[in-house]
Amino acid sequence: MIATLVEGKALLETVIASVVASIGVTFAFSVAIWGVGRFADLSRNERPLAAAGAAAVASVALACVGAALVAGIIVMTSN
Amino acid sequence: MSSDVILVIVIVTALAFDFTNGFHDTANVVATSISTGAARPQVAIGMAALLNFVGAFISISVAATVANDVVNAEVITPTIVFAGLIGAIAWNLATWYFGLPSSSSHALIGGVVGSAVAAAGFDAVLADGLVGKVLVPALVAPVLAFLVAGLGIGIVYRVVGKQRPGIVTRGFKYGQIVSGGLLALAHGTNDAQKTMGIITLALIANGSLGADADPPLWVIVSAAAAIALGTYSGGWRIIKTTGTRIIKMDAAQGFSSQGAGASVILASTHFGFPLSTTHVINGGVMGAGAGKRLSAVRWGVAGNIVTAWVLTLPAAAAIGALTYGVTRIFGTGALGPVVVSLMAISLIVAAFARRAQQGAPVPASSG
Repeated sequence: MIATLVEGKALLETVIASVVASIGVTFAFSVAIWGVGRFADLSRNERPLAAAGAAAVASVALACVGAALVAGIIVMTSN
Repeated sequence: MSSDVILVIVIVTALAFDFTNGFHDTANVVATSISTGAARPQVAIGMAALLNFVGAFISISVAATVANDVVNAEVITPTIVFAGLIGAIAWNLATWYFGLPSSSSHALIGGVVGSAVAAAGFDAVLADGLVGKVLVPALVAPVLAFLVAGLGIGIVYRVVGKQRPGIVTRGFKYGQIVSGGLLALAHGTNDAQKTMGIITLALIANGSLGADADPPLWVIVSAAAAIALGTYSGGWRIIKTTGTRIIKMDAAQGFSSQGAGASVILASTHFGFPLSTTHVINGGVMGAGAGKRLSAVRWGVAGNIVTAWVLTLPAAAAIGALTYGVTRIFGTGALGPVVVSLMAISLIVAAFARRAQQGAPVPASSG
């Protein structure tokens, strides 16, 4: 019974980790692509300040993706 | 001496099983990247083989589960492990021959459980481990990958839906290089560890390792090399048949499905759950399709997965048990495994020869 409960907890943690990692990275990467797209459009329309803002959003989103990947690898290899 | 001969047969058989696992699964791992044009076939296959190899080194949790949590190592002998492996290989061969869906991972677990029960009764099976670490995760993981990929693609379309398609497609193609790499890494770490676990179990049974021992480095390296070589060899077959098994999807769907598959497999591996990686990858692909259009779901593939769930474990267990019975006809020495190995090799050669005459078989899933 105790063993089953422990596996249930591990399974729940697997579900949460999978959802958070996959959805989080997908969202962040989508935001990065949105930022790049907006940067291109705004630069073409000669709105440098707004373009810089979009580029900043894209950079932060990409940094989040990179950080998530590094964190994932550290967690995996630390087991 | 006799048990050492059996041990060598088990190790060679396990590595051959690992090679065929990689060979079968190349298509699942690289198909999405090739389909969307994110990577050329040669690059995708080379990268998948390399990351399969690397992936085998990042964890040993699944190997520990297979070696210690499914059957009672104290009552296991190398002959039982051998019979289980033959059960798995025979079931994979039969499903390949008749075009039925299967799962190499479920077959491996089923074969070992069946031969252990035949040899030592139901006390040889650790029910908590089998249910909690194998059966339940096997059911949950593909559904989870389906839901995560479906949710992911919904978010993608909401965020970038109004952007110019060129930038979005190019961006997700770059993203797929990373997500495809992670998927290959995840595949290598979960699948190679099953072989490590089986070899470790045989070494414990032979008295070469203590109970609860981790896989030695040579076991990790050989299992990693076998699956990577299998993936690479299977890849060249895929290149020749590109287009026949490839599912059409856009780059965002590819990214979403690969990300979902990789995250589910890696998270499961971290907690020591041996999964059918093929089922998880297929779940992700179907989820990404359903997230865009429900009718895009290949319900036939979903049906195949359910059939494989129902059939593979009991069938492989039955063959494993039967194989153990046959080996015992020749006593407890090495003669039984040697005779069964020769019979198995003859059957495999005959099946391949007959298939070659009849044409290509309907592909059955593995992993």
